[in-house]
Amino acid sequence: MLFKIAWRNIWRSRTRSLVVIGAIAIGVWAVIFLISFSSGMVTSYINNAIENEISHIQIHHPDFIEDEEVKYFIENPENLISDIQMVDGVKAATLRSISNGMLSTSKGGGRGIRIKAIDPISEALVTHLDEKIKEGKYFGESRSKSILISTSLSEKMKAKVRSKLVLTFQDVNGNITALGFRVAGLFQTGNNAYDLNTVFVKREDLNPNLGDEKLTHEVAIVVNVPQNVEIVQSDIKDLYPNLLTENYKELSPEIELFQSQIKLSALIFTVIVMLGLIFGIINTMLMAVLERIREFGMLMAIGMNKVRVFWMVVLETVLLGMVAAPIGLAIGWFSVVYFSTRGIDLSNYSRGMREIGFSPIIYPNIESDFYWWLTLAVAVTAILGSLYPAFKAIKLRPVEALRKL
Amino acid sequence: MVIKTENISKTYNPDSIPVHALRGVNIEIEKGEFTAIVGPSGSGKTTLLNIIGGLDRPTDGYIEVGGSDISKLSDNELIDFRRNNIGFVFQAYNLIPVLTARENVEFVMLLQNQSEEVRNERTEELLKAVGLEKEIDRRPSKLSGGQQQRVAVARALASKPTFVLADEPTANLDSKSTTNLLDIMAELNRKEEITFVFSTHDQRVIDRARRVITLEDGVIASDIRR
Ligand SMILES: Nc1ncnc2c1ncn2[C@@H]1O[C@H](COP(=O)(O)OP(=O)(O)OP(=O)(O)O)[C@@H](O)[C@H]1O
Ligand SMILES: [Mg+2]
Repeated sequence: MLFKIAWRNIWRSRTRSLVVIGAIAIGVWAVIFLISFSSGMVTSYINNAIENEISHIQIHHPDFIEDEEVKYFIENPENLISDIQMVDGVKAATLRSISNGMLSTSKGGGRGIRIKAIDPISEALVTHLDEKIKEGKYFGESRSKSILISTSLSEKMKAKVRSKLVLTFQDVNGNITALGFRVAGLFQTGNNAYDLNTVFVKREDLNPNLGDEKLTHEVAIVVNVPQNVEIVQSDIKDLYPNLLTENYKELSPEIELFQSQIKLSALIFTVIVMLGLIFGIINTMLMAVLERIREFGMLMAIGMNKVRVFWMVVLETVLLGMVAAPIGLAIGWFSVVYFSTRGIDLSNYSRGMREIGFSPIIYPNIESDFYWWLTLAVAVTAILGSLYPAFKAIKLRPVEALRKL
Repeated sequence: MVIKTENISKTYNPDSIPVHALRGVNIEIEKGEFTAIVGPSGSGKTTLLNIIGGLDRPTDGYIEVGGSDISKLSDNELIDFRRNNIGFVFQAYNLIPVLTARENVEFVMLLQNQSEEVRNERTEELLKAVGLEKEIDRRPSKLSGGQQQRVAVARALASKPTFVLADEPTANLDSKSTTNLLDIMAELNRKEEITFVFSTHDQRVIDRARRVITLEDGVIASDIRR
């Protein structure tokens, strides 16, 4: 019966109730949208980083990560790739040798860069580098040594497809070597900083000059199911206990940071919106109580105790919230679903995003758990907002309340 | 004895501008009485009824209702006491506007944790007794003033109270509804021996009472049984 009374009371001042319901629904929607938006941004960053740069798992000589020195190569790499491809859950793997060096044109103008020497075919399976060629070819059949540089680096160096470039680097014995390459193609990954710093050549071209045909510094692996990356990682660790096998979270700690950042900002934003809503709720419920003073007086006169009166006001407020929450959740859900396939194109507003590896098209996404948390947050907000009006109601003394005739 | 007061007085605002609403009132009301409390405006009728009904406490004196002293009860104890001992009929705003006549009557019994069976049976019986079996599922806004007061009487009786207190129950009614309400109250009083104590200004109501207590300036000026 209290439930019935509370429910019908909501619809007594319909406009007022609808206003609060609308406010709560919009608040809920805003929270969902903003959080799914920023989470979409972070997801795109993470996916970009995984796809272009770090893959899911990388294997190195234990000292390589720290110094990136050519001498920290992986011993006996002969069977590495076939062994790893046998591991359950591995989708593709590729070998790289890596060296830091300098890139210069015939006119001079040296620039420090990171040389990644790759196997074009298996590299394409891991990073889809072949799909990121904007101009020229993905290596191709040329007899001279080929190099891939990014479109932005080509502008900086004033080098085009077919331009000649010289790479200067150290071999395993510490000797400085210079080697001429011809630009085969220009790539673009979406992360400008990475693009400006990285060039790709073929392992077969670079390795003899680094000191060993089989030289390998890095194995990059993508897995079938990203959620299972840790399982695959531990299987590989068992296979190669002496090598350093790291997953993308370990390789790029900022990913974890971003993910926890998203959780924190979701919490803060939710709290701020709910705080705003609390005042709206208090205001509405206070009005609802004050215009019913006589009724509360009568209820207490005929023997409704304070616990029940208090509970009735709380219940009324919570019901108000529980009408509003599903509306906001539904609108929120629909807009996430809608934009998660269509994407929100920010390329007109966000020039700088590409520079640091964010894609200009955001695909909002949100963990489904969050809807439950938000429902709970609305319920808690409603309860908090009802406390003061409910106290007001039980503070009324029936004689005085009834005298207001 | 249903109600007994000994020398009760009530002073409002004792610290600023004291108003002595009651000054030493002694009354005894027996089971089955049909008693009117009359007197000019401001003579203390409402104050007296509130104190008897456990809505307010006297400044001084002693009240016994159904054999127990209620002058010392706490607020919460008074709420329980009212729920189980007293049926109230006020001048207006008696009913919960969002509930139907049936639900209004049932509500008191719910507060008493009565079983659904008892509630249903008694609700229908009471609304029939006040002649509202056809209006049972209407909300107060769809009832006339007189019908609302009859629902209030049914509601007041639902808790099986020791007595029913009514503060000017007919003040907002036309003469036909007044007569009708009084007929119902008198009948319940006669058939079921329900004790009614009501205040009124209305001569027609006074004429129907079997005992008339007149208050003047917070003291009993006369007490006539007929
Ligand atoms: N809460 C209060 N504070 C101060 N004075 C009060 C209060 N309630 C009543 N009084 C005063 O006490 C006196 C008795 O009031 P009461 O309401 O009991 O009279 P009444 O006989 O019921 O009058 P009426 O016929 O107008 O209803 C009046 O002088 C009134 O002004
Ligand atoms: Mg009065």
